[in-house]
Amino acid sequence: MLERQSRLRMPLAGILIIVVGALTIGPVLMLVIGSFSKGIGAIGAFTTDKYVAAYTDPTLPKTLLNTVIFTLGAACFSTILGGLLAYLSVRTDIPFSGLFRVLPIVPMMIPHVLFAAAWIALLNPTNGMLNLFLRNLFGLSSGPFNIYSLGGMIFLEGMLDLPVTYLVISPAMYSFDTTLEEASRVSGASNLYTLRRVTLPILKPAFLATFTLAIIRTLAAFAIPSMVGMPGRIHILTTHIYRIISVGWSPDYGRAAALGLIVLAASIILVYLYRHLISEGSQYVTVTGKGYRPTVVELGRARYPLFILCIVLFCFLVVIPLATLIYMSFLPYSMVPSARAVSMMNLRNWHTVLRNSVIVRALKNSVFLSIAGATLGIVLSLFVAYVVVKVKSKGSALLESLSFLSFSFPGMIIGVGFMWFLVRTPLYATIWGLLVAYVGTYLPYGVRPLRSAFMQIDEELEESARVFGASFLRALNDIIVPLLAPGVVSAWILMACMFIRELSVSVVLSRPGTEVLTVEIMKLANDGLWGQVAALGIIMIGLSTALVIVASLLRIPLSHSEQ
Amino acid sequence: MQGMVSVKNLVKTFASKDETVTALDNVTLATPANRILTLLGPSGCGKTTLLRCIAGLESPVSGEISIGGEVVWSKEQGISLPPERRGIGMVFQSYAIWPHMTVFGNVAYPLEIRRTPKQEIRERVRKILDLVKLSGFENRLATKLSGGQQQRVALARALVAEPKVILFDEPLSNLDAKLRESTRQELRDFLTELAISAIYVTHDQVEALTISDHIAIMRGGVIVEQGTPQDIYLRSNNPFVVDFIGRANFLDATIKGYKDQHHAIVSCALGDIVCSAPSDLVIGTKVTIYTRPESFEVAPPSSVPTENEFEGTVTSLLFAGEAHEAEILVGGARILAKLKFHIPLKKGEKVRLHVDREWCRALNPGEEA
Repeated sequence: MLERQSRLRMPLAGILIIVVGALTIGPVLMLVIGSFSKGIGAIGAFTTDKYVAAYTDPTLPKTLLNTVIFTLGAACFSTILGGLLAYLSVRTDIPFSGLFRVLPIVPMMIPHVLFAAAWIALLNPTNGMLNLFLRNLFGLSSGPFNIYSLGGMIFLEGMLDLPVTYLVISPAMYSFDTTLEEASRVSGASNLYTLRRVTLPILKPAFLATFTLAIIRTLAAFAIPSMVGMPGRIHILTTHIYRIISVGWSPDYGRAAALGLIVLAASIILVYLYRHLISEGSQYVTVTGKGYRPTVVELGRARYPLFILCIVLFCFLVVIPLATLIYMSFLPYSMVPSARAVSMMNLRNWHTVLRNSVIVRALKNSVFLSIAGATLGIVLSLFVAYVVVKVKSKGSALLESLSFLSFSFPGMIIGVGFMWFLVRTPLYATIWGLLVAYVGTYLPYGVRPLRSAFMQIDEELEESARVFGASFLRALNDIIVPLLAPGVVSAWILMACMFIRELSVSVVLSRPGTEVLTVEIMKLANDGLWGQVAALGIIMIGLSTALVIVASLLRIPLSHSEQ
Repeated sequence: MQGMVSVKNLVKTFASKDETVTALDNVTLATPANRILTLLGPSGCGKTTLLRCIAGLESPVSGEISIGGEVVWSKEQGISLPPERRGIGMVFQSYAIWPHMTVFGNVAYPLEIRRTPKQEIRERVRKILDLVKLSGFENRLATKLSGGQQQRVALARALVAEPKVILFDEPLSNLDAKLRESTRQELRDFLTELAISAIYVTHDQVEALTISDHIAIMRGGVIVEQGTPQDIYLRSNNPFVVDFIGRANFLDATIKGYKDQHHAIVSCALGDIVCSAPSDLVIGTKVTIYTRPESFEVAPPSSVPTENEFEGTVTSLLFAGEAHEAEILVGGARILAKLKFHIPLKKGEKVRLHVDREWCRALNPGEEA
């Protein structure tokens, strides 16, 4: 049986390397070739013109500067926020600390385009509702806030990356050996001095890793830079590239590729740095004592003020944007809540959106892409994860690297790579092309959770079932499937939700006929149709919530067989 | 009694989900100055909690703690000094060596906080590292050292600021058996040399016996007995203490009369023997007597029977290196005796044993093990 398995496994690994390689290295190769080609129709005709054109662009220095400020600013902001929330929820006696372990993750439900739309509606300089309100209140002539600024972009992007930074930093807080702090107190140091000299320095590697990950995320960010930055004429690399391929009458994919490669290179370097930072060698390892439960830091008088601060933050993240969207979806134009506003509420935005045939098509496309894409992605991830965990060979190591590599790829850039790739195939401008690009770009998000699910299944569990007389298929059905099912279902939900809200790949590849929800929302926002943006956005949030609910209902019978 | 560290009527409870656990139940304790006091007891007896209350890492519910004559915590007076103002040093179970600092950085830290001049810091750290035999390790990252060396860094750090008292929380439990033995010896030497006041927490009885000047045995949040290691091991009348420390043979016995004020004649499975007993027990009182396995001697075969001699049959024999561990059946009772390895013994043979009246003791009646 061992022989039969390895005979089966060897070609499986080979096929997977080809498929995953085509999906991850393929677009990168095409990006490189494309950057040296005369045009998308003249691929392979060697030229360095595109590099010259891309890097001598007089607006590039300003764009690079903006990119650096935006990326570092948002990464700093989200790391500090994530660190603070993780510290408060894990280490202190803040009220309802259990609640705070869930709250930072909730914003993942709100797509970035909608988050941006809600805050624009509140804080844009001409008719942002909060601005109007403050202007009336204090008799100002112009609004105190301008969201269309680098500060605004950093504020929004930083909040959107909070779930990620929180999830990365909180394990470090959990495993922190509190006797290190106690030793400092006993040595004569105050709480604050201890924080500065002991706690923070020891957590430094974890903070650095979180910061690096946040930089990777913001470098690839597109929703906030395009919706908030572009109206304020603040361009960063992703939006700069987007303009090259979308503005004017001849999109230049070669120049886009030439520029995209530096973003890609930066991301790959950062991912390897991140990987190094989270490896065991770079974290501080200490002898841990047996037994004593970690002490809780007493906040004393700061307890309730900090609690209120957290609640305010949660309002900023979830409550305010959601309430704004719901409110706006019933109004003809944005206005400060008042009796008059209430009297003008109607369902017109909803009707308009649902009668628009393009939007209805986008809805259908997005649902299809989400369900088919997640299914395809998870099936592929299952095979990859299986080979990576259960087959120990050079091929499986290569496969792991391949599937990890694309984790760093900014969707926007990889979209350009797929463009060069798909244009040579009949898939171009079809929904299948988008499907392939989605699966290729987001494969790591399927492989990583399934990999850990497979790792939890000990070989001996399967073997003991065989020893006790179960056939291979019976063992698979009785042991492997029930143990794996919860992991598969949650990975599927995660992927399906990501595909419903996918923007950065779609914005490059979406064509008339293959519209998707987020791109249509962005177009409506560009036209200033905020009411319709809100209505469509709520439909979108409803869809992903329904997806989660249906999938968790499916999960119940599956998890029963677990026991 | 006023000691270096005085604890009066200390109560500490922990509230878990649906019950309140009393970790310290009205504990009163005074530690002798310039001596090592060990808090010994099974896990969950409250010894670590007591230590952490003294350090200021836990807040008691009621009572009073003073260190060097100064009240550091008192419910009545509303005093609660934070750990950094109690003038203590502490060695943790996990050593709690700061991984981001060098050996020098770790040891210099308490002095830096006290704003000691740089030159003096260097001098004092050098001296203390010399003492713990870590000279030349100043610039090494502390966590790159071996377990025993880390342990000595932790000790140096606790000693460097010359605290009024130094607290040890199971400092040897992370070392392997062999290293633990040698480190125990070293630690005892350091502390005796420095004549420092120390409170030492452990659950290891051998460690407690070898390292301490004074032992307090704890159980269920209460101190059940205090004394020198010899008192505790050899002369305790507390059933829990006898059972917890070392091994003991327990036998049911009846008081038949008194030889003198401290020695009674009892009848038990060994026959009528003389044992040390609490005075003034009424004749006929049922008591439990105990003997340590190592207190038995084989009587020379030709000698005239004397006091406390009895004959039994060897029912099992275990060669344990330095001694034979023999199980001997006497009058229906099984007795474990540790006998010298050079005495020839065979399973099934009869053997005559003798036990000194001092090492055969009656427990306080009415107390439970």
